[in-house]
Amino acid sequence: MTDKKAWDLSRRELMKMGLALGAGSALGGVLPGSARAQQLTMDWWWWGEQELPGLQKVVDGAVAAYKEATIKPMLQDTAVVISQFQTAAAAGNAPDIQYLWNGIYHMESVWFGYLRGLKELVKPEILTASTPTALSNFGGDTYRVGWYPLPMMWIYNKKLFEQAKLDPNAPPKTWEELLTACEALKTAGIEPLGGGIQDGYWSEWYISHSLPQNLDTIGEAVELFIGDKDFRDPKYHEHWTKLEELKTKGYLNADMSSLELYPGIDLVPAGKLAMGQSIGTRLPADLKTANGEVGVMTMPVFGKGKLAGIPLLDVQGLGISSNAEDPKAAAAFLEFLNAPEQLKAFWDATGWIPSNTTFDTSVITDATVRSMWETWGLGKNISNVTNVMPGQFYERAAIPTGQQIVQGSMTGEQAGELAAATAKEWREFNPDLVENYQKWVVDLSAG
Amino acid sequence: MNKVLSSLPKHAALLFASFLALVPTIFMISTALKTEQEYAVDKLSFPRMPVLENFRAVLVDSPFLWWMLNSLILVAGAVVISTIVACLAAYAIARMEFRGRDTLLAISTSLMAVPPIVMIVPLFVLYSRIGLISTYQGAILIYAGLITPFSVYLLTTFFRTVPNELFESARMDGANDFVILLKIVLPLSAPALVTLLVVNSLYVWNDLLIAIIFLQDDAKRTLMAGISVFQGRYNNQVPLTMAGMVIASAPMLILYISFQKYFIRGLMAGAVK
Amino acid sequence: MNRTSRLTPYLYVAPLVLLMAFVFGYPLVRIFEFSFKMVRGIDGPWIGLRNYQLVLGQDLFWESVLHNLQLLLAIPVMVVVSLFVAILLYERVAGWKLYRIIVFVPFVLAIPIIAVVMKRMFQFSGPVNEVLRWLSLDFMALDWIGSSEVALWTVMILIIWRESALGIILFLARMMSLDESVIEAAKLEGANWWQRARYIILPQMRGVIEFFVVVSTITMLSAVFAYVYVIGGGRGGPGTATVVVEFYIFNALIRTSLPGIASAASVMLFLVSVLLIFPLFRARRRAALDEATR
Repeated sequence: MTDKKAWDLSRRELMKMGLALGAGSALGGVLPGSARAQQLTMDWWWWGEQELPGLQKVVDGAVAAYKEATIKPMLQDTAVVISQFQTAAAAGNAPDIQYLWNGIYHMESVWFGYLRGLKELVKPEILTASTPTALSNFGGDTYRVGWYPLPMMWIYNKKLFEQAKLDPNAPPKTWEELLTACEALKTAGIEPLGGGIQDGYWSEWYISHSLPQNLDTIGEAVELFIGDKDFRDPKYHEHWTKLEELKTKGYLNADMSSLELYPGIDLVPAGKLAMGQSIGTRLPADLKTANGEVGVMTMPVFGKGKLAGIPLLDVQGLGISSNAEDPKAAAAFLEFLNAPEQLKAFWDATGWIPSNTTFDTSVITDATVRSMWETWGLGKNISNVTNVMPGQFYERAAIPTGQQIVQGSMTGEQAGELAAATAKEWREFNPDLVENYQKWVVDLSAG
Repeated sequence: MNKVLSSLPKHAALLFASFLALVPTIFMISTALKTEQEYAVDKLSFPRMPVLENFRAVLVDSPFLWWMLNSLILVAGAVVISTIVACLAAYAIARMEFRGRDTLLAISTSLMAVPPIVMIVPLFVLYSRIGLISTYQGAILIYAGLITPFSVYLLTTFFRTVPNELFESARMDGANDFVILLKIVLPLSAPALVTLLVVNSLYVWNDLLIAIIFLQDDAKRTLMAGISVFQGRYNNQVPLTMAGMVIASAPMLILYISFQKYFIRGLMAGAVK
Repeated sequence: MNRTSRLTPYLYVAPLVLLMAFVFGYPLVRIFEFSFKMVRGIDGPWIGLRNYQLVLGQDLFWESVLHNLQLLLAIPVMVVVSLFVAILLYERVAGWKLYRIIVFVPFVLAIPIIAVVMKRMFQFSGPVNEVLRWLSLDFMALDWIGSSEVALWTVMILIIWRESALGIILFLARMMSLDESVIEAAKLEGANWWQRARYIILPQMRGVIEFFVVVSTITMLSAVFAYVYVIGGGRGGPGTATVVVEFYIFNALIRTSLPGIASAASVMLFLVSVLLIFPLFRARRRAALDEATR
């Protein structure tokens, strides 16, 4: 069913991959075989080697170290992570433990009844420390344990800041400061801001950073889709107006429209662009490219919502299927993955941080990466609002608006109108989904 | 002398047309031999120091050969099935009398003009239900179906040109229809069969639509679907991307140069689709 | 006298009928059924004409129809280019066989491959614009794939570039079957190149040109998915600038999980292609007749 997800996956893959260039490793898979008697056997379908090489070692290590049960892991193919799980669940054959992307990418399975709530199963302190994010909550329960984080941020090139006589250690915090900095950079002959928007993901990330600035809760974003709030209200399209402002003032890089996301990000460490949007998993490599001259920042603040200026953190997670024979045992394994020595093993194998606030950050040698994690991971953070976005809205409004504003063929206000019209269209096309979204708002508005 | 002069503008025009036809190929090959650094500073001229590193990287780090194998499996499966089905049917339509014969040919021929995308939705839903998504047999069946109307059309036309006397004398010798088809008609039809082979193989090999919808599994990805993923992954490495495109286009270019007569004839016939 | 039993023909055509029923018959019945249902997953409740209402009321659908129609503008260009080159080749200047092999290369390269190559060439800071700037034609150095206004034209350039090769070969083949003595006679009487092309060759090309136009029309309306998929970054972008009807259907089915909507659009595309079958058959018959007179 809903094989749309199968496709959203390729967007996800691209969006978050970054590191996994050419990891052609995920060839095929074996369906769960029959369990041998004696000890309890559990199936675990997972994904992520594709975006975070080394994860395979984490999985193998954890499985070998776990003595309470036999775990049979299977690396899923990117295209079928959701559809394979949902098909199996519909037939009653889902694995005990399943890898889950955030937000709507697993919430549908929740609505179909394929996943178990974890509040009764997993120790509350572990569940909280793993930061599954607010988008895993529905009907008062939580459906994922966090596995590894994807902090989302802006990056800037310190060398270029210096060239433009800007303080390389004090990136702009407010919109006014941003405009001043852009002007200084432009005057110095440096392209101030941007990246690549040809493949559209930049539009999505821009919304992740900017839409929350005028929101008080993520639930408010869902209200925009279900029609309780309206994108035509200036505060709900102010972020697009701001993008238009950057465009009209000539602060965006000239080839932004014809570049794709990753080549666009590459411009910043390469010293060809001063500021851009990026993602945490790229940071170690980008710091290396730029000899440490890359800094991280949150998007400068223009909005007045409670979520303005708070760092963004998306998290990949694991859940327990309704088909699990012994959910308690599955929960015990998820707790085991969050034990200190397993978190350490995660870092050793991947060079990346596991999603757990109790993880000992002293092992992170690079100061920039560590301070980034302390701010994005351990401080107050919010989740990625585009993960609650209906697919139809994503395709029809989220991506095109950004692209057209950057080309100069749309204003922020027109973007708001397109968004409102698309949200209405989605409601007409999907009356059944709207109901579930209405319930979801309650959870998303709670925290 | 006058003749040479008068043909100069023609040569100029043809040279220009040839240049336009070859520019992407030249760009592709030339860029594939450059390093990232060289391409960054110089996008136009030929590589100063040709490097093969990009080709190595593509062949070793990307599953290009694997994708080609997948494409080959689909081509082989679909072409074999379609040819058998079409030979049998075309023989009956061309050489036998039966009710509904003309209707059958008319319907089958009309199907050539139906866009494949129209059939996708129900097949996708059906395949999801019975687990044929991302299987070779599922995709082969669709491909075989899509190319068969043309095969039937071409073979029927061809079989009708086989002289009647051959049939009559074979019958006198006591051969039944199947033997006639196998021993007499098919050997005579070699040119038509070669044309079919070219047209149908190219259709399946070059298809993107069916491949990305019905073969979503990495392990089953075809060359064309692989390419669209590949170019997205390496979108910041143009020389590497071009090396991939050179490798991807090599089989067909080599076949074309070696057998250009059959290709041109086949593609022209295929235009009827 | 015929020893074949009455059943034999049906045995021979049975595999064809089964295959066609599966790949064409079943889907064509189901798209009509689905188009009246709100399908989630594999089935759903009847909702009458609601899907059609939604599709026809959606700007995006009309935008994609318009894009298909815009692509039709490429056809006259293709015809002219192909005729021109074919006539040049027909003159058999020295090396014409080599030229023929070369100008046919575009049609041998698979669409996704060539789209990837062209996409890199047409980048804003790519080689095409570099050449244009070098020629001081800066005003022509457009954002070929990045601008919503230009992207579909870029797709069209690519289509013309590739499909013209087919036209050349078709036209050339037809010319080769013409009666050469007439042309030779005209030459002797002093008819120049243009006169020979205009008054002797062209009139005899009507059938094959008509055929090429009909085939190209079918291509533009229902077979440009591969071009658009790669150039438009897999989503008909930038914005929705390169969304065509095929892509609309693809998107509704795969990305937004609305098989009912996709079916309604499919039904409409199907009906249009049925209308095109008649001119196709007529043109094919006429082109075949021309051939037969060789």
